[in-house]
Amino acid sequence: MASHTTADERYDDPTGESDPIIELNNAKVTYDGGETFVLDDVSLSVERNEVVGVVGESGSGKSMLASAMLDAIPDPGQLSGEVLYHRPDGTTVDVLELSDEELRQFRWEEVAMVFQGAMSSFNPTMKIGGHFEETLKAHDARVSEGMEFARELLSDLYLDPERVLDSYPHELSGGMTQRALIALSLVLEPDVLVMDEPTAALDLLMQRSILTLLEELQQKYDLTMVFITHDLPLVAALADRMAVMYAFDLIEVAPRDQLIGNSGHPYTRALLNSTPNLDAPLEEMRPIEGQSPAPVNVPDGCSYAPRCPLATDECREVDPEFYKTGDDHRTACHRWEEARERITLNFETAEDGAASGGSEGGT
Amino acid sequence: MVNYYVRRTARVLVTIFLVASLTFGLVRLLPGGPFTLLRAQLLRQGVPADEVDARIANLQNIRPDEPLWMQYIDYMTALVQGNLGESISLGEPVVSVLAKAAPWTVFVVLVSTILVFVVGIFLGSLQAYWEGSRFDQLVTGVSISMMSLPFYVVAVLLLYVFAYQFGWLPTAGTISNSVDRSLSVPFVVSALKHSILPIVSYTLGAAGGQALAMRGNSIQVLGNDYVQVARLRGLSDRRIATRYVARNAILPLYTGFLLLLGFRLGGTVILEQIFSYTGLGYYMITALNANDYPLMMGTFLVITVALVIGVYIADLTYSRIDPRISAGESDEAY
Amino acid sequence: MKPTETDSTAVDWRGDSTSSSDVTRRERLKESYETRVRTPALVAWSDWRTRFGLLIIAGYILMALVAVLGLWREPSTSQAPRLLGPFVDMSYPLGTTQSGVDLMALIIHSTPTFLILITAGAVWATLIAVIIGTVAGYKGGSVDRGLMSFSDLVMAIPGLPLVIILAVTLNPENPVVLGVIINISYWAGLGRSLRSQVLTIRENNYVEASRTMGISTPRIILKDIIPNLMPYITVNFVFAARYVMFASVGLYFLGVLPYSTQNWGVTLNFAYSNGALFSWQAAHWILAPMIAIMGLSLGLILLGQGLDRVFNPRVRTRMAGESKSTAGEGDDDTVTEVF
Repeated sequence: MASHTTADERYDDPTGESDPIIELNNAKVTYDGGETFVLDDVSLSVERNEVVGVVGESGSGKSMLASAMLDAIPDPGQLSGEVLYHRPDGTTVDVLELSDEELRQFRWEEVAMVFQGAMSSFNPTMKIGGHFEETLKAHDARVSEGMEFARELLSDLYLDPERVLDSYPHELSGGMTQRALIALSLVLEPDVLVMDEPTAALDLLMQRSILTLLEELQQKYDLTMVFITHDLPLVAALADRMAVMYAFDLIEVAPRDQLIGNSGHPYTRALLNSTPNLDAPLEEMRPIEGQSPAPVNVPDGCSYAPRCPLATDECREVDPEFYKTGDDHRTACHRWEEARERITLNFETAEDGAASGGSEGGT
Repeated sequence: MVNYYVRRTARVLVTIFLVASLTFGLVRLLPGGPFTLLRAQLLRQGVPADEVDARIANLQNIRPDEPLWMQYIDYMTALVQGNLGESISLGEPVVSVLAKAAPWTVFVVLVSTILVFVVGIFLGSLQAYWEGSRFDQLVTGVSISMMSLPFYVVAVLLLYVFAYQFGWLPTAGTISNSVDRSLSVPFVVSALKHSILPIVSYTLGAAGGQALAMRGNSIQVLGNDYVQVARLRGLSDRRIATRYVARNAILPLYTGFLLLLGFRLGGTVILEQIFSYTGLGYYMITALNANDYPLMMGTFLVITVALVIGVYIADLTYSRIDPRISAGESDEAY
Repeated sequence: MKPTETDSTAVDWRGDSTSSSDVTRRERLKESYETRVRTPALVAWSDWRTRFGLLIIAGYILMALVAVLGLWREPSTSQAPRLLGPFVDMSYPLGTTQSGVDLMALIIHSTPTFLILITAGAVWATLIAVIIGTVAGYKGGSVDRGLMSFSDLVMAIPGLPLVIILAVTLNPENPVVLGVIINISYWAGLGRSLRSQVLTIRENNYVEASRTMGISTPRIILKDIIPNLMPYITVNFVFAARYVMFASVGLYFLGVLPYSTQNWGVTLNFAYSNGALFSWQAAHWILAPMIAIMGLSLGLILLGQGLDRVFNPRVRTRMAGESKSTAGEGDDDTVTEVF
């Protein structure tokens, strides 16, 4: 049996060149004075200029993770832990320790956030241009230069700058407001962009095009991105690393190819199988039965155990720590080796079929 | 946009025209009552019949023996010329009576309605800011209690306490009788003293209701995404409170403002009676009790015109404040 | 580690599949009852405002029953010693007026009239508003423009003065007719706000579905649109009732409305003009009807507020607990706090 090495390092650094820009350490969000929690002691380190895709179903706590990075957990939630931000000049701050004024400047200048439902993110009684101007003014930036930059961003996003700036939010389509919101989030040239389901309210074609735009922006402006979604295949194309959340905790973190091709967690594998996939036969596609637990009701032991086909008594009693299951790949599952063996990925079957039938010339 | 203003102005004129026609119709409906009485009286005095007819016609601007449509034209032409007939009980042209009365009514209604909004919005926003606090609960409780008291009850009580019991404020009238009716300091002071109780009693209950509405709206707006996003964008609290919360919370109250204006102008018939405040409403009731139909209809018409103009002004400003309004008409017909 | 394809221990990670059961019609009705009636009723009841409001109104209905069933004497002059104070003689618990009329009898026997009055007025205003608002909002186009122009015209006429003129002209004594007259133009504001809500509702998919299915307009309005407006309608019904009450009492107080027997407003008028305001001995004369008015209106307001809260939960982003928000009049509402 492979060794059960536990991995506590938030980022396994094979090349020794780790350069985290933002680190979440033991982030915990509780309500009712600690009775219920919606983020359970989560640690995640994000490298500079990388794209991290955080995947999870509704209610898994992924939005809390995003909000934690800006210390923006809505009342009455309480956030504890550390959020370390490493500036390019080498200094480090704990976002949670910032004063109100420092936090106000930190937000949007260094870390910005884009929400789902862009239409509701704008003040309905203000023009888009007004939003840009007031953001620039609030951060004591030069307005005329800032607006020039805003226009450039808008064109990068394939929007007509003058038209968009002069419109009210309700006058633009969903896709346009989403892109305008993205431009707004970049206008102060932040280093980190956190996106919480930025494309959920849009049609498929628009989703794909925004993803492409984001990729271009990321490269052009050297952004670090944290992309939160329930749609695994959507973010898979863009992400360098991926993290899976379940029941308010991370259960697996790995480089993208590793996560998709060689995941060690039954939930991740089930998630992959439940995704529509052209390579896999239709019958192989099934949803994951059952429901993820509510904040007040998280089971002892492994939170996925009630739904997991591989669950044993150990699983039900002992909450798994992270096991190192590959280069920079950690999984929170006691049975990770069995998972890889026994839970087949539907697209693998097709590949395997093609591979094993290779000697016959393959069809 | 110009088109909109033109249309809106045209609507005002049309409305006034229609209401004037309505009053004509209502006059027709009125029981012959006072005029029969007056006619009998005059005849008994020995006034020749056709002169009696002429006098009565003068009072109403109608010649009873003419065909209806001609009467209508007579009436409307007189109206356009600013002739509202003559008051039976006061013996003056209706227009001159109302010209003296109108400013008082407009003053009270305008000041009290503006106060209602200013106080209501201010209180309501504070309540939303300190939601759940003792202040919030207290103001809510007081508002609900005040809402269950009609303003006339409040007026009577205030009158009793402050005017009769303590004698701090005058008990009746718009102006002290001893003051010279010219624009001078004593005049202004007296006018203000006489208008305090009417304004206060007209404001209290309604302000409470507005506070509650503002509170509700503000709470809802505070829960909106764009407020949260504004905070994340690093905007100052002050900016968020005014441009994001207040602006959006006040908007829905605007339509209520129009309705409120209408109710309050009409409510002056009761308010002014209590304080013997000689405004439009007061004269309407006086006319009613004296069966003075020309005065009654004239007052009705003037109150309506005041309302129409008030709504017009409010309407014009509304579209400048809310960018989402596009004449408010639906284009798709089902 | 590559999984072998012929792994006989391949795990069915799909888990148990649950079979879907048919939902019977009976269950559907039960569910409908639960969501539409029982749950909102329970939520409404849980709010102290609704409870109090209903209790108070029940009290008044009880008084009306007492009057109708003749369980308390009718008011008439000189039936008791004049200006008897309250609680002095328990057979006249509220005291008497200057002409020796039992105040308690006055209060009780006006109740049925007032209840009919306000119900009639509220029904009239709400019904017309619903019809005009929904038809205008749903139909759109020229129908909408026409109806809204008409409604604007009605709104341009100040309510009370018009009522006064009509009252003088028509001299109504029947409480139903009176109720309708008092609220004759009330529907206009309500109709407008209903219309704007309908404009949103009609964009819903099920409305479009009904249209393509060829369902007639009245049925669409009745089945698809109105149920969504019920909460708003209910709340405004209560507010309309409150307005009728205030207006009618005010007009009786002024002596504008005709009456055959005394009622709260008339009593107020008499008390006021007889100087009950100035003497302590006669204070109960003016206070009794005042309290009766306040009581009913408080009941109506509480009920309205409680209902409004049920249907418009305005909770700030707090996960735990409900906010104690009294939603007030809500957006876009007809505002009647003149009184």
